[in-house]
Amino acid sequence: MRKWWILLVAFTAWIGLGCIWLQPRYVEAVSERQPSDTPERIVSMAPNLTEILFALGLDEKIVGVTQDSDYPPAAAQKHTVGTFWQPNIEAVIALKPDLIVTLIFEQQRNLTERLTRMGYKCLALDISTVDDLFTAIPAVGAATGRSQQAEQVLGGMRARMAAIREAVTGKNRVRVLWVVQRDPLRVAGRNTFINELIELAGGENAVGSTLHVYPPVGGEQIIASAPQVIIEPAMIGGDLPAQRVKAVSYWGKYTTVPAVANGRLYVIDGDLVSRLGPRLGEGIEAIAKCLRPEAFGE
Amino acid sequence: MRTAATAVMLVVVMLVCSLVGSEQISLKTAMAGIHGSGSPNPDYEILVHIRVPRVILAAIVGAALAAAGTALQALLRNPLADPYILGISSGAGLGATLAIIGGFSWTLWGRSPVAVFAFAGALGTVWLVWVVGRVTGKFHVTGLLLAGVVVNAFFSAIIMFLISIAKGQQLHATMFWLMGNMAEEDFLVLWIGAGCVAAGVISLYFLAPQLNAISFDPADARSMGIHVEKVQLVAFTISAFVTAVAVSLSGLVGFVGLVVPHGVRLVLGPDHRQLVPISSICGAMFLVVADTAARVIVAPAQLPVGVVTAIIGGPFFLILLVRYNRKVSWLR
Amino acid sequence: MTVSVEVQNIRFAYHRGQPVLEDISFAVPAGKFLAIVGPNGAGKSTLINLIAGSLVCQSGIVSVDGIDIRSCQPRELARKIAIVRQGSVPVFGFSVAEAVLMARTTHYGPLGFESEIDRQCVAEALEMTATTGFASRPLASLSGGERQRVFIARALAQDTPILLMDEPTTFLDLRHQVAIFDLLKTIQIDKARTIIAITQDINLAAQYCDQALLLRPLRPPPLPAESTGTCRDRGHYRIGPACEVLAAAHIQEVFGVSGFSGRIGKESFFIPLGRLAKDAVRDANSIAQRTDRALNRHKQ
Repeated sequence: MRKWWILLVAFTAWIGLGCIWLQPRYVEAVSERQPSDTPERIVSMAPNLTEILFALGLDEKIVGVTQDSDYPPAAAQKHTVGTFWQPNIEAVIALKPDLIVTLIFEQQRNLTERLTRMGYKCLALDISTVDDLFTAIPAVGAATGRSQQAEQVLGGMRARMAAIREAVTGKNRVRVLWVVQRDPLRVAGRNTFINELIELAGGENAVGSTLHVYPPVGGEQIIASAPQVIIEPAMIGGDLPAQRVKAVSYWGKYTTVPAVANGRLYVIDGDLVSRLGPRLGEGIEAIAKCLRPEAFGE
Repeated sequence: MRTAATAVMLVVVMLVCSLVGSEQISLKTAMAGIHGSGSPNPDYEILVHIRVPRVILAAIVGAALAAAGTALQALLRNPLADPYILGISSGAGLGATLAIIGGFSWTLWGRSPVAVFAFAGALGTVWLVWVVGRVTGKFHVTGLLLAGVVVNAFFSAIIMFLISIAKGQQLHATMFWLMGNMAEEDFLVLWIGAGCVAAGVISLYFLAPQLNAISFDPADARSMGIHVEKVQLVAFTISAFVTAVAVSLSGLVGFVGLVVPHGVRLVLGPDHRQLVPISSICGAMFLVVADTAARVIVAPAQLPVGVVTAIIGGPFFLILLVRYNRKVSWLR
Repeated sequence: MTVSVEVQNIRFAYHRGQPVLEDISFAVPAGKFLAIVGPNGAGKSTLINLIAGSLVCQSGIVSVDGIDIRSCQPRELARKIAIVRQGSVPVFGFSVAEAVLMARTTHYGPLGFESEIDRQCVAEALEMTATTGFASRPLASLSGGERQRVFIARALAQDTPILLMDEPTTFLDLRHQVAIFDLLKTIQIDKARTIIAITQDINLAAQYCDQALLLRPLRPPPLPAESTGTCRDRGHYRIGPACEVLAAAHIQEVFGVSGFSGRIGKESFFIPLGRLAKDAVRDANSIAQRTDRALNRHKQ
């Protein structure tokens, strides 16, 4: 029995000592790094953030990007620091950055916390909707001393979106089915930013509001929703025409669906529409072209 | 003594693995940084703030899972038991998934809610399984196992449903948690975790002679003077607690709790006075090596540790089976 | 004479079923050897388990050295009683020495290590059961009989004043059957232990045991009670000195077999004879006679 008491006492003492000695104190390193207004070594932790940084003209200052940052092509030349889903903190530190731009989500939150505790300056942005994007770009501009360029970029985006809005106001909204995955069949629901893009392009999601963010749907729901246009984003940057051929043969069996009957099946560049970034305008335009080819000179 | 030798091996392995990683760091540069020179010293930072905590975390989780696996294999008298068999995996998974998808942003003393929810989920599930199992009458092993299977299935279904309604990033975060990963933690968490696991392992060591007798035959154990129900309850609780700590720190890392006790038993025999300490140390070593491999193989990306443990663990175990035939009686 | 094990009016039924044991009382004096004999299903193993404390009787008292076992902790009880049951192959590959050492678990030091005394007990026990040669072999690699001896060694290593055995000589060859009984008798006399053993070997029991308990199953209902000599018959069971309880008439009646008994010197024996065996003898004789006659006729 005695040995159990000894163990209990030792355990309590261990925990107590730990709580006293080891309060998180990562203060030492902070003073050495002066957060400046014009960081010289920037690391981007997401592909859309990379695009934003490049759009602000910061290409020489970017020292590290994630592996999936493939646009603009110059980004592919930079050092990689892991992927968007799995950042590699060691690679980030090895690049001696003075600003790290990240997105707010679980995996990167841990990264951000650790880096902040070590004294690095991190900028964490939440970009899940179009509005968020319009707040984020100025924030990045402010942190990097490029507020002017940020305004320019925003201006350009707004102009493009206004042009599209003009072309589609007053017209009936086109019913769109946005197919994210074919096997099993999943579509983008109303609770996604893709839905926002669709609406900005003058369309309407054929699927009603669902509990699922990307609901799996069955054949009868497709027929019931009667979409006029079916869009499939091509994730693997491959041969778009070839993928369209495959899509046509897949959807061929849904002859009662208006989109299939009228041949309104489109396969578009996935990156353009899956990233909330400076190419938002182009993305919406691409969608709008699918919805109203006649209006956009297809 | 064998335990001391393996402990030394563990320390050596941990040190070596700290120096291995996706970035080349030199020990000299890192050591210079201890005295805090002016310029930023990435080598030092990587070593001390990233690698060492991670290696320590891997050791803690590995030791916890291996010790719990050993105890459960003895209690359930089943060499194929692992720490997750009684519903802990799905309970912790459910807790973590709820935390991630619920998007809770409050923190408990700065700890992410995921760990706390996972811990609570794990313990809650064990309690549930215990209660359901007891309905079949006193600590009846079959009843517990069945209850564990049922609870596992039920919670897994809920997890699947939650995953299907999750947003993209939450989905990914959940999947990653479920595959097991070592995220770096701060030293206080490591200190407490190490304390809990060490206390658990030592307690199980105290119970080792009784575990020997119980794993032999519970009825005989009773007539040899062992309070079987009490020992079973205590050992079971300690295993559950230790596993919950491990799971809340690193997600679900499979294979360690099953293979390591097995392997050590094949080599050293089923005496739990040796088995408990040595398999925890071996579990720690195994997971440190696996985590290092996970960091390095596809650098700069990282594999989830659970994948690596399975890939390393499987063939390694097969080799052990073939070469060490000492105690293979149960293979018949 | 001090009473080692005493059983008073115990009644036991499994899971609210029919009672298996009803109103049994007897006392085993210290240092005696009691044999429990009876047909299958009579409740012999149940009785032994009740005495060992593994089962709890619904009514009645089991006391050891005058103390009710219900008030004893398992540890205390284990210092008094060791039991050998029908052993099975364990799941994990313990060796013989490890298995026998387990009996000393309650004597280990604080860090769980065995002491020199423990090791000596084990060595002695292995020697007494002639299993020293197996000491480092895994249990599963032994034959049934060898394993049985190991389990007996384990009970011996527990070094308790009372030994309970549930059919210790099953699976054992003739030599070892006798050896075990010799061993038990030696222990009983040299070390003054009390031994209670269930056995199906009536003759060895009669040779070695001081007392015997002949147990009848409760169903069919037993015959009315009677008392003959020093042997009490309660209908459900009969207890007394071995020679009287194990008399041929009692055996024949309880087991429902016929046979012939006899006496050689001081030892009495009983050999059961099946119906077919007698018929076969008779038939064999008549075949032999007819063959003789046919041959004789032929010769003539």
